[in-house]
This record gives sequence, C-alpha cells and structure tokens, in this order.
Amino acid sequence: MLYTSVTQETIDAVVGGYEKAHPGEKVTVFRAPTGQLNARIAADQRSGGLRADVIWGTDPLSMRSYTDQHLLAPWPLPQLTSVPEQYRTPEFWGTRLLYLVMVAHKDLKPQPTAWTDLTNSAYRGKVAVPDPAFAGSAFAALGYFSQAPGMGMDFYGALRANGAKQVASIPDVVTEVAQGRYQLGITLDSGARTAMKKGSPIVIVWPKPGAIVLYSPIAMTAQTARPTGSAAREFMRYVLSTEGQQHIADTGWQPIIAGVPGPPQPAGATSVSPDWAALFGHQQELLATYRSIFVK
Amino acid sequence: MSRAASTPAPRGTGVVRVLGIVAVVALLGVLVATPLVSLARGALDQGWSTMAEVLRDADVMTALWHTVLLAVIVTVISVSLGSALAIAFDRAMIRATAGWRLALLLPMLVPQFAVTLSWTQAYGPGGFSDHLFGVALPGLYGPLGIGLLLTVDSVPLTWLIVTAAMAVRREPDLARAARASGAGPWATLWTIDLPLLRPALTAAAAVVFVSSVNSFAVPQVLGSAQGYQTLATLVYQQLTLSVGPEAFAQLSTTALLMVALVLVALAGADRGLGRVVRGQARYGASGMSPASAGIRSNRLVVGGVAAYVVLTSVLPLLALVLASLSRAAGLLPEPKNWTPSNYVVALTGQAGVALTRSVVLAVVAGLVVTVIASLVVGVGGESRRRLGTAVTLGFAIPGSALAVGTLIAYGTWLGGSVIIILMAYLAKSWALGHRALLAGVDRMPPELTRAGRASGASPVTVLRTITAPLMATALATSFGIVVLFALHELTMSSILYGPDTATFAVVVLNQQQLGEIGGSAAMAVILTLPALLLLGVGTLLLRRREHRLHPGEVRR
Repeated sequence: MLYTSVTQETIDAVVGGYEKAHPGEKVTVFRAPTGQLNARIAADQRSGGLRADVIWGTDPLSMRSYTDQHLLAPWPLPQLTSVPEQYRTPEFWGTRLLYLVMVAHKDLKPQPTAWTDLTNSAYRGKVAVPDPAFAGSAFAALGYFSQAPGMGMDFYGALRANGAKQVASIPDVVTEVAQGRYQLGITLDSGARTAMKKGSPIVIVWPKPGAIVLYSPIAMTAQTARPTGSAAREFMRYVLSTEGQQHIADTGWQPIIAGVPGPPQPAGATSVSPDWAALFGHQQELLATYRSIFVK
Repeated sequence: MSRAASTPAPRGTGVVRVLGIVAVVALLGVLVATPLVSLARGALDQGWSTMAEVLRDADVMTALWHTVLLAVIVTVISVSLGSALAIAFDRAMIRATAGWRLALLLPMLVPQFAVTLSWTQAYGPGGFSDHLFGVALPGLYGPLGIGLLLTVDSVPLTWLIVTAAMAVRREPDLARAARASGAGPWATLWTIDLPLLRPALTAAAAVVFVSSVNSFAVPQVLGSAQGYQTLATLVYQQLTLSVGPEAFAQLSTTALLMVALVLVALAGADRGLGRVVRGQARYGASGMSPASAGIRSNRLVVGGVAAYVVLTSVLPLLALVLASLSRAAGLLPEPKNWTPSNYVVALTGQAGVALTRSVVLAVVAGLVVTVIASLVVGVGGESRRRLGTAVTLGFAIPGSALAVGTLIAYGTWLGGSVIIILMAYLAKSWALGHRALLAGVDRMPPELTRAGRASGASPVTVLRTITAPLMATALATSFGIVVLFALHELTMSSILYGPDTATFAVVVLNQQQLGEIGGSAAMAVILTLPALLLLGVGTLLLRRREHRLHPGEVRR
C-alpha cells in the first residue's frame, strides 16, 4: 500500500511502469493532498497502526513529522548512490526536485530578476505570496527567506510594506498572475510551465541567487511486514531507477538522479535550498512570526 | 404539551414509538457518538493541559470569534432573505413557476469548492465584470466576501425549508379572519404568517448557522489573503502541518470546540422552537394565509428577485462554464481559447467511474437519511427535540475530524469500503434531512392523523395515506439537500476512500492541487448537472402530487 501526496498523473505513470515491469504485482495507492493524507495517517495510528508500506510525500517537512512519530523505517536501500547526499536523511531520500520560482505576467515591465526584486517599489501591490501554512512546498519559501543572509524575516516586513498579499495556494499564484490580479508571485515551476504551455500569458523567472529547491521524499514505513517489505523496497528502487525517473520527468518534474533530463531550465540556472535540518520542529514558531509580520 | 401540534407519525402505538427511539439512539451511537468519543480521546491523549493550552491559544480564539461572527451574520441575513422570498412566492407576488424555483435553487447546485471560483471569475479583479466594465467587487477577498458567498449559498436552503413548511398545509382561516377584520396584507403577514412560520425559521436558522460554522472551501480561499482564519480552516491547517500527537490533540480540541459552539446555538434555537410549538398548540387550527389574499403581483418584487438571481447565480455560473471551457487561466473568454479537454479529463478513465460511484453514494445517502430522519421526526414530543439536537452534532464536526473519528472507530473492519464513506455521509447529513423534515412536520395538522386513526386505520396506513403525501415536499427537500451535500463533499471521502472506492472528490482535489481551474470548473459543472436533472424531475413530480392533493390551490 502506497500513501502519497504526489499528483495523480505522476503516480499513475510510475505505478503503471512498475506494474508493467513486475507482472503480477499490484500497488494499492491512496493519494490525497497533505492535509487529508495526514488525517488518514493520524487515524491509522489510532486504529491498529499505519496501513501503508511506503509513503511518498511532496516536501521534507511533513516527512520529518512522520519520522518524529517513529512511523518510518531506516532507509532500506543504502546501496543506491545516485541520489545526491543533500537529499538524503537516515529515513527518507528525495525522488524528484521541485523548484520555487517567480511567475510574472508577460506584459510586466521591467521583469524581475532576483528574489529581492519582490520588495522593489516598481511592484508595489502587485506581488502574490502563497500561504505557507497550507502546504509544505509553500513553507519552503518561508524557510529559505528566513535563513537567507541579508533577508531573514525582515524580508517579509519589506514585502508587506510593498503591498504584497498572501493567497491561498501555490497554484492560485499562477492563476491570479495569469488573470492579472497580481503581476508577479512565488510559485512552483511545473505548474507555471503547464499553464504557459496551454497559453496563459505568463513567464517563468528563475530568480537570483536561484530557485528555491525542495525535494519530494520517499520512505518505507516501520510497520511494513516482511512479505510486503521486499515489494516495498522493489517499488522504491524502481522510483529511483532510470525508468522510474523518466516517468517523473515525463510528467513535468525534475528527476533527482543525474543523467535523466528533466524539464527545460534557463541556461545557467542555479538553485538554493533552505537548511531543512534547522527548520525541522520549528514550523509553528516560524509561522507565528511570519503571521505577526506579514499577515496581521 | 406539544402532543396536539407536533406529532403526525404513528405515535399512537407506544411500541412503535419506543422501537423508533431505540433505533435512532442506536444509530446515533454508531454514526455520531462513537467517532466523537474517538476524537475526545484524541483531545485528551496529551492530558488536560494540552487541551487547555489550545483553548487559550490566541489563534484559536481569533478563529472562534471569526467563526461566530460570520455564522451569526450569515444566518440572520440568509433567513431574512430566504423567508422573504418564500413569502413573496406564497403571496403571489411572484408566480411560483418551475423556472423560478430552479433559478432560486441554482446557487445550491454549485458545489462549494466551485462557488469561490465562480465568483472570483465573475466579479474578482481580472474577472468578468473587471474585463467588461473595469469594475471588481470590493472586499471579495476577506470577511465581507466570505460572508456574502456563504449567504448567497445558504439562501436557497432557507427558502426551501420555509417553502416546505408552507406547503404542508394551507388553512386560510386565520388569515382570512384577520383580513375580514380589517387587517392589511402586511399586518396579516406580521401578525399571522410570521409567527406561524417560526418553527421553520428556527429550523432554517439552525441549518444555516451550522453550515456556516462548518464551511471550509469559501473561507480558505477568500480569507487567506488577510490571514482571516475560521475554526474549519484552522483544523485543516493543523492537519497539514503535522501528524504528531500534539497536533492531533489540537485538531480534536478545535473540532470539539466547534461541536460545543453548535450545541450552544442549537440549544437556544430548539428551546425557542419548543416554546413556539407549545404556543401553537393553543392556537388550535392554524394556517398560512391563502395565496389569493396576498398582495398582488408586484413588478418591483419580481424585478428585484430577477436581479438577485442574475447577479448571484446566472453570472457566476456563466463565469464557471466559461472557465471550464478555457484552455488556460488568463485567456480572454473567446471561442478561439475554448477547449473541451477539461471535460474529457473529468469524464474519462477513473474519473468517470469515480463520478458514477459518487452519484450512487449520494442517492443512497439521500434515501437512507430521509428514512432515518423520518424516524426521529416520527418520535415526536420532547424526545424528538433531544434526539434532534444529538443528530445535529454530527453535522457540527468538521469533515476532516469526523472522517478521522470514523476511521479510528471502524477503520479496522470497514477501512477502504464504501460503507465507511456512507457512514460518514449519514453522520454529517442526517441533520440536514432532519431539519428539512422538522420544518414541514411542525406545520402538520394533527387532527388529520388523529381522524385517520380514529376511523380505524393502522399506523402504517395513516403514514402511507395521510402523513407521507402531506409531507412529500419536506421528504423531497430532505432527499435533495442530502444528495447535493454528498455529491459536493470533498474532505471526508478523500480521507476515507480505498483502492476501489475512490469518489469524484479525489479527482477534483487532484485538479485543484495542480491548479487546473479549467478542470475544477468542468468538474463543478458536471456535478451540477445530475442535481439539475434530479431537481427538474422532482419539481415536476411534486407539482403533480400537490395538484392532486390541493387541486386549484397550489398551481396558480
């Protein structure tokens, strides 16, 4: 049984590929947004234990909360070396990369080039920021800015002073910039790329010093019984195989292993990452500070 | 006491009544109490201190205040507007054609997850009105917008409940007497009709209050811009951030707080209702004023209502349909930017299967709830009031928390089955059916059933030949409201579904997660279609039935 918050198209592609490569095996999937997934896990824990063999999440923070609950087994496939060190913890490893970038309306002049441009008075009242409390991926931006040298929480004070507004979710940022309610905002590159391809009047800006990267981790659960254990390991191995990673790339995400080309990025694109270890366990405090500065 | 006025069902035989009470109590235990106890245990997992901490938390208190404020304002406006509309129809200020009925019910047919989408597309910055006239609705994002949308969304409900109450009986004596004694139409309205309608108004207010407290989709999208949290959005946020025991205790405590809030409000409403019913019993025979005695067709009223329908239903629905046809966000609504692909996504493969499953589940929930709600209503008297309050508790629990409670209680045996989804639907929508029936039954003339019994008819015959036909509108209302609720529900089924029981909600949430507003809009449009169909057929059948029962009076 696989519990996941990864989008349906990607799950269908990867699970379909796995079942084709392993005839006779069937992966049962429970897919839901993080909130619903957590509800299911919380209920499982209180009624006979977690029913999942594998959890495939969208961001490291929710995964870490599972680790804290002793829900995850130690990483079972240490021999795989293709996943870069920075995307590994003792329990979960990354499977794909998500990039937080800027999305801007194509008519916006001048186009922004750096994260700090969001506080530029040229964009007063035109910036949309996704609510970090409603998704781990949106939280990554808060995590990064709060730690980045020269930014910190003051950055949010400056954003607020510049009339930036919070919107509900990462996809809402794309929609609202496309429809002109805002002119630019923080969002994930994949959603913006899909909208662009379909014809939305937006552009993706890969801001300096880099897109904020977060990884989508996978882990085996501590409850995995022996008979399903080997299948769980096999599935995880498949996700991190060239073939599995190709399915991930084909459905719009950056594969985590080198050598499998992902969606296009601008030449010389760089990325930055929050220090995840320093964020673990501090979400609530950070959110409270954020709200007191930016929202209230 | 309330014997005379409030008990239409086979109360005469003590055994049947006791059996009814036992069945209701057992169902309440299974559907509502057990999940609630699971939650309460979760709240106490970490000891009383965590619970107390949650209740002292500034965020929780702010969210509580927002929730109460919104619910009270929405309830007051929605009940006033809904009953004004019902009276306008009854007084023949507006001819009660099927077209009007459908038009007024439109907002209810749009799933709440799409209501915000339809309004922001119609009136938001960058929306319809902005494109055409350069005007956007000020305050749409924020508490004003939330209140406005929740009101528009609930007006059809109050209108339905009040109308159902009026349809049960038209006995014009009182009003005729008033008019004959020289009272003007407005005085008659004020002194005769409104007091008689109080049970229905109270029932409607209870439903609207509880659904406002529980509403999630609207405040989540519109409140976020200003950090405007309600208890329902707070519960979801607690779930998103962590899965630990403290988070679970927080979630359970917040959910119980919502239950307590609703309980307090309902206790007040039901006590008020009890008084009214007893007061009415002294009235003896009573009834609405006849249509013919009403204020004659009034162009101003018709114009006002028409404008209301266009602004609150037609334009947002049109915006929703256009969004569902759009290739991508931000393109002008012109044919060259249209595509059927959103509908293809929504109807093919797993999505089509899930849609069928959702429709079947919703219809079954509608039938079962109407039956078990009739059980409670049939019990009558003081027990009905108490059981009714207990039934409403299920509706008060936020969807995510109720799903968790149900899973904890029954997941081991029923996890992943359709039954567990159905159980959660029943627990949550029982109150909707109950209130709809209650509004009708409180206006039932008791002497009819008594006469039936006196003439030697069995309780079943009385139920079949007298009560059920008279209650037809109320029963249909109950069924319809529950079906809509179950069709539009996103949270519970997306937590409870299993390998072969995915509902349409699972597909919708995926589209939302992807930011596919075209896809979400197409799914909303698809969800409104079966409802429209059902409503159309229902309206037709009811009109025939009413015509048979009250020839010449209802069809005017």
